[in-house]
Amino acid sequence: MKTKDSKKGLSTTVAVGVIVLVIVIVLAAWYLLAPKAKVEALIMGTTDSVETNIDPAEAYDFFGWEIIQATGCGLVQIKEGTPYGAGEKDIMPSLATDWSVSSDGLTWTFNLRKGVKFEDGTEFNATHVKYSIDRGMSLAIPEGAFVGIGFSDIIDSVEVTDKYQVKFHLKIPFGPFLSLMASPVSYIVNPKYAPFDSTVNYAEGNARASCPNDLGPYTLTNWTRKAGKDYEMRFKANPNYWDKASGLPRSKELIIKFYADATGLAMAIDAGDIDVAFRQLKASDIESLKTKTNVKVWEGTGAFIQYLVFQEKIKPFDDARVRRAVAAALNRTALCKTVFLGQAANLYSMIPNGMMGHIDAYKTLGDANYTFTKNTLKELGYDETNKLVVDLYYETSGHYPQSADQVAVIKSSLEASGVITVNLHGFDWPAYRVKRGEESMPAYIYGWYPDYVDPDNYVYPFLHSSGSSWLHNNYANEQMDKLIEDARATSTTSTRETLYGQIQQLMVQDAPIVPMFQSSAWAVTKPNVKGVYLDISQVWRLWLLEKE
Amino acid sequence: MSLRSYVITRLLLTIPMILLLLSIVFMVVRVIPGDPVLLHFEKYADPKDVERLRHSLGLDKPLYAQYLDYVIGVLKGDFGKSMQDYSPVAQQIFSAFPATLELAICSIMVAVGIGVLLGVRSSCSYGSVQDHAIRAFGVVMYAIPVFFLGMIFQLIFGIGLHWFPTGGRIYPMLEPRGLVVKMVRPQGGFPSVLIQSLPAALAALVVAFLVLRKRRVAFRPRGFSIALAAFLTSWLICAGLMWHYAGRGGLRLSTGLYTVDSILEGNPVKLVEAWRYLFLPSLTLGLVLCGIFIRLTRTNMLETLRLDFVSAARARGLKENTVVYGYALRNAFLPVLTMMGLQFAALLGGAILTETTFSWPGLGRYLVDRINFRDYTAIQGAVVLFGLMVALVSLVVDVLYAYLDPRIRL
Repeated sequence: MKTKDSKKGLSTTVAVGVIVLVIVIVLAAWYLLAPKAKVEALIMGTTDSVETNIDPAEAYDFFGWEIIQATGCGLVQIKEGTPYGAGEKDIMPSLATDWSVSSDGLTWTFNLRKGVKFEDGTEFNATHVKYSIDRGMSLAIPEGAFVGIGFSDIIDSVEVTDKYQVKFHLKIPFGPFLSLMASPVSYIVNPKYAPFDSTVNYAEGNARASCPNDLGPYTLTNWTRKAGKDYEMRFKANPNYWDKASGLPRSKELIIKFYADATGLAMAIDAGDIDVAFRQLKASDIESLKTKTNVKVWEGTGAFIQYLVFQEKIKPFDDARVRRAVAAALNRTALCKTVFLGQAANLYSMIPNGMMGHIDAYKTLGDANYTFTKNTLKELGYDETNKLVVDLYYETSGHYPQSADQVAVIKSSLEASGVITVNLHGFDWPAYRVKRGEESMPAYIYGWYPDYVDPDNYVYPFLHSSGSSWLHNNYANEQMDKLIEDARATSTTSTRETLYGQIQQLMVQDAPIVPMFQSSAWAVTKPNVKGVYLDISQVWRLWLLEKE
Repeated sequence: MSLRSYVITRLLLTIPMILLLLSIVFMVVRVIPGDPVLLHFEKYADPKDVERLRHSLGLDKPLYAQYLDYVIGVLKGDFGKSMQDYSPVAQQIFSAFPATLELAICSIMVAVGIGVLLGVRSSCSYGSVQDHAIRAFGVVMYAIPVFFLGMIFQLIFGIGLHWFPTGGRIYPMLEPRGLVVKMVRPQGGFPSVLIQSLPAALAALVVAFLVLRKRRVAFRPRGFSIALAAFLTSWLICAGLMWHYAGRGGLRLSTGLYTVDSILEGNPVKLVEAWRYLFLPSLTLGLVLCGIFIRLTRTNMLETLRLDFVSAARARGLKENTVVYGYALRNAFLPVLTMMGLQFAALLGGAILTETTFSWPGLGRYLVDRINFRDYTAIQGAVVLFGLMVALVSLVVDVLYAYLDPRIRL
């Protein structure tokens, strides 16, 4: 009985084994014989995503602009690797071959490039420039860049003077006009895909209908969203690109993959799943990637700044002396070293380091200058027993980098003065956004990314009484307004530098906003990738990336 | 109560449950501070524009009107439009669900497979070193944060060995299309479709014949007419379907589950890729969940193994494996099944941490994302779907109970 049983068991096992083996062999053969798809494209990973769409009339986020820059084209462009950003020498021709400005600074004339074709073969001409700008200004999407930057306060009208010549008539002389024209907001759309009275939104399964731009180096061939979140984008070289002869874009195919968080992105580049990782990587991940040989870490100038805002409606922060005393107690070095492992730079002005007109204005108050803080606060009746209470608000949902770590360092540096107590209050971004409008936060932290690379964009939206209405800090100084308007009105670099110097000194005097740090920009690539430019212009030039 | 009326009652009870859930979520999302309208304005917010947007999102109406609008919409099957990007919520959830489902199925298979096997081993070697080791393993797995385990696996298998990718759902350009059959309507019109579908109909006839043989239905006259009816109906249905799909250019069958779709497409490269991407997230999630199953199986097995029928089975000389797996485990399995149902339902709501660690485009990430936008409609939609899943899965578990243990009357 027993032997029979085990024999039966054995033969069953053998039979099952043979069947499994055969199945495995067949499957393996099937797999090995199947044609393998090879992907030659350059693959970039990111944690960014398109916030609304890639229509210049509405897009107002870093990544949306990045895609507009890859698929579209403007009248002028900023030269790659520029150290300075906003000077005359940094602007290069693009769809315009040359330009001039009238002596009163109110009329800009652009001569356009001939023979540039849209995807459908239509030739690009002056009417398209007028169409694109007029469209953005008349749509005036409240959340969009045209309204955000205030185009209608700057541009009066666009006039087509010839098939290949266009004139911009301005309401005010506007020094940074060329920077504005280089910004993706002013990029030219294809009227065939961009109706005058509505914006172009993401269309499921139809990349062409989702993208109104087609004069740029790349054509968007595929854009997938899953669960309302970007999942993958694919691009092919645009056969009609005007600068194709220079070998642009350098990679004929490009794929963008979207990652959920910075750690996932760092893992992917480290494992070699992607060729390029750009935005956002954590300071600690960059530190560890730097030590590896399988990747290359690129460092560049960042234009993202963070700053401390005081609510002047709430006492005692209506007093500039209190604000200065707090500003002097900040320890920027500790902040940059502890939180960002040295991957951010101390910032002593709203105008970033390296940009035209920048001076280290807040250095006069010093860093962790507790003597100044104590003496100033003593005059106002605060001392070790009667401390100044600062209710510091910050954002907790990752809208800004490592906010919770930042405020911990700020708290300890302010409290080290011995005369200040800091209470921390964290809210996620939606709640924080509401509180800003309620004007109920005595001191709060905010960040800024430029709309166009010019000192004006770091001064007007913060220190000018009407420009800073969005920040709700209730700062107004007529002298300041006048200086900012004067600096806007001229395009002579030396005059502007002088004016920005005065503006920054007055800023320290009033101390409505205290700049803290300027981030560095980082990209990580495989060692064989070249064409990475991380300059002050903040343009991420997808069309220059290439695998060797 | 018969099984059918039980199922119907349970399904009907789901409706008030979902309504209650919906009402709670509706209130809660509006109570937390934050405003979906303001989030559309990064900087300047003209009060007129804010009001206009508030109106277009329907948020200017009184709360009860918003609530009624929403409930009526849901009853009609309309989950509204996202307050963040204005596209239909149902469509967004639908595009995220297959990813979550695929991950849930694979990880529950890993969890139950490992958990039950180890639990049984542990109970059979009660008190031994093996028992202690397995119990310790279970506790450690249960206690370990899922993102931490995920990152360890990413480091070892992704960065160190390069065996598996660290994130995403599939390699770019390799998404399986599913079964795609191109068809055109033949020139001969419907009659030629009828001729083309004849083989399928004949196959149906053979199947009908075999079934009837097995059931021993007397062939004449009843069986004959049944077979004829089956033949004619299936012929017409086949021809009709072919005609329909040919009119639309062909048949496209895709489930959104990449493993299934690549098999349907018949593409082994894509199948292997899909598995490679699925492996680490499922293993991570499965291992973390298996701790519960180890403990649960072990406890129940220890009790069951002491019962008389197990001794009786052993006394009859049955092999130990048959006694343990065939007799004892089947009886100890009910609590495991309950837990399995609960865990599976929870997984269908999206494994937030796992999905984030592995950049898996599923429901969990969607929900967290939308909370950060205070996207009321999207949050409500996702939670309602989650509620439905829990209700359905627990119903299925109850029905399975009755099947596994005939003593249980529903």
